[in-house]
Order: sequence, then structure tokens, then C-alpha cells
Amino acid sequence: MEFKQVVGNRRTIRFFDPNRPVEPEKIQVMLEAANRASRAVNADFAKAIVCYRDELTDEVREALKTPTSTVQIDLAPVTIFWYGDTTFVNGAQDRLKELVDLGALPVTHGWTHPYVDDLVYPQVLEPLSKDALATTWAVSVEAGLAIAQAMLAGVDEGLGVGLHAFNAAGAKEVLKVPDTWVPMWILLVGYPAEDAKGGGQRPRRPLSESYYRGQYGSPWVEIPEVTERLKREGMIQEPMPADATERMKEIKQLADRFGLPS
Amino acid sequence: MTSGGIESQASVKQWAASPGLGQDPAEVREQKLGILEDFCTKVDKQPDELVAFCILRKKATGERFLSVKRREAINNWLDEFVDEQGWTGKQAVVNANVVRSFLIHNGVLIQGRVWRG
Repeated sequence: MEFKQVVGNRRTIRFFDPNRPVEPEKIQVMLEAANRASRAVNADFAKAIVCYRDELTDEVREALKTPTSTVQIDLAPVTIFWYGDTTFVNGAQDRLKELVDLGALPVTHGWTHPYVDDLVYPQVLEPLSKDALATTWAVSVEAGLAIAQAMLAGVDEGLGVGLHAFNAAGAKEVLKVPDTWVPMWILLVGYPAEDAKGGGQRPRRPLSESYYRGQYGSPWVEIPEVTERLKREGMIQEPMPADATERMKEIKQLADRFGLPS
Repeated sequence: MTSGGIESQASVKQWAASPGLGQDPAEVREQKLGILEDFCTKVDKQPDELVAFCILRKKATGERFLSVKRREAINNWLDEFVDEQGWTGKQAVVNANVVRSFLIHNGVLIQGRVWRG
């Protein structure tokens, strides 16, 4: 699938086909996409535990649920628990010097081993690693990049995906994650039981409301030809119609199928 | 308590005005009200009290919030209720979710079991 189509097709899927298995090969594609994400200091910020619903014991499955996530976790054949690793500074010096040696961090931009050893590590990374707020910020942003790539790779593989909060305390106990991992999101994965396009793209505000040129207050001015091209290429798709009759009908059918409240 | 009795409760009126109950045929509606009524009898709470049970106030600010623990308690009671009624399979899921529908249409986000067939 073309990149723009993947971005345009992504929806938060809330109704998965619970009995259609997800191929481990596709999960690996998602994990590799995460592994290829941009990351500071070439660190492995993002950590993930892939759980196949039907491989979990009832006890573990119950521990992962909350009154706000039970339906999704029961419907999705796969749940990927994403964490951010706060020990990202460990080994950072060696990884940076490796990038210097490979020319990924070029001398033209001031990168040398002494710069890494004498300045970047002691004056930037080490203090950052001791600042809880800064660490959480760095880990969250960096893990988010990886999670986004995994999510889009899932869409590219024809899967439905959805990010949600989770019962971090329950998960920590049953998944046995280290204390240094910070909970991010769960990524639910499966084949959609609902229309994969979810009735249309969710409402979005125009670019000018969030993006600026030069300084805040000077909104980005859309180039109409680009907007039209993105519609042709699938990044911008038909929005959900204001008349939600059809979507509501679909939700009712799904509720009847799965015995859910309506 | 009779279904006529619970229908006078504000929370039941709100449910009745929603698609969760309001669009059902009369016999389905009666059946759903009966399930709610039986559940309320089991837990010894009126429908309005059941909704209020899920909502607490922060001591410091008085701000209302939905209690996770209280919703877990509701889910546990629903599991017991289903067992007591002898419901199994899809019926067990659907009937427990009737009570959750009542709570949802009163602003309580609560999820329970899913029928996976």
C-alpha cells in the first residue's frame, strides 16, 4: 500500500474479529517498523510485549482488564504492551561513537569522540537521565515514534489497530516488566469486524489551526493543489458523515453479534 | 420492587429515552427492565442508587469521578447475578450487558464480557 494511503486508512478500530488469528509474520513486520524508527542517541527507548489473547491464562487476562478496556482486550486477538525504557542512557557513549565512526554523525557537523566523551555524555545525557521529568519526556516522545511506525505497518499489512490506556499495575505484575520501564499504551491488533474505514475519517481541524510558518500566529496557508492531490492519493478521505444513521446501524449489528450493550 | 416502580426513577427514565431501551419493542423493553429490577433487588439498591454508587467525589475538591473499584464491584456482582440466574453462553453475556447498558446511558463507562461465539 502506498504510504499516503496507509496514513489515510488508519482508524482506531474498536471491533475486531475475535476469532480470526493474526499471523505472527505480520506482528514481526510491525515490530521491525518500530525498530527502524528515528531515535535519539540510537537508544532502544521502545520496549514491547506481544500477547496473544488465547495464549494467556484466564488469570492473566483478567489482571490486564479494567472496566474501561475489557471489551477491546477480549475482542482483539493480539495486544502489544508498549513501554519506554528509562535506562536509555546506558551505553549511549559507545553508540554515539559508533555513529561517529560510521559517518552517520559527521565531523562536518562537529561530531567527534572527544565531543561525545567530554560534552554530550557528562553535560547532557547523564544529567538528563537523573531528571525524572526530562527522562519521562524523552522516553515518551521516542517510544511514541516507534509505536506510530508499528501502528502504520499494521495498517499496511491489512490489520486493524487501536491505541488505548491500560491497567499498568496489573500488567506490570503479570508481564513481569522491569521497574525501569514506563507504561505507554497498548496497541490492539486484529482484523476489523467493523468497516475497516470506520465510516470515514474522523473530524480534523484545518492545518491553519495547529501549524504555523515563521512564528506562532502566522498560520500555515494550505496549497489547494496539494490538498486535492492528497485526496486523490488517499491521505485525505471522506469524513464521517454528519448523519450517522449508517454507522449507528453498524454499531447495533456489532452489539448484537457480540452481545454488547447498546 | 416492580418494573413499574423502577420506571419512575430518573436514571431509568434517562435509559428509556436512549437508544439502549427506547427503541426496543415493548416485550424486549419489559424483559430488560425486569433484568435491571432483579439485579437491583439482588444488590439492594434502587436504580438511581446504583448509578450514584459508581460516582464518588474527591475529598479535596468535591469533584465527581467514576470509581474504578466501584465499577469492578458492579462487574463482580453481575458475575454472581448471572450464575444465580443460571444464564449461560450468549444469554449470560447479553443479559449482564443489559445492566451495563443502563449504567452507560447514565454516564457510567463500564465494560464487561463479550460474546465471541
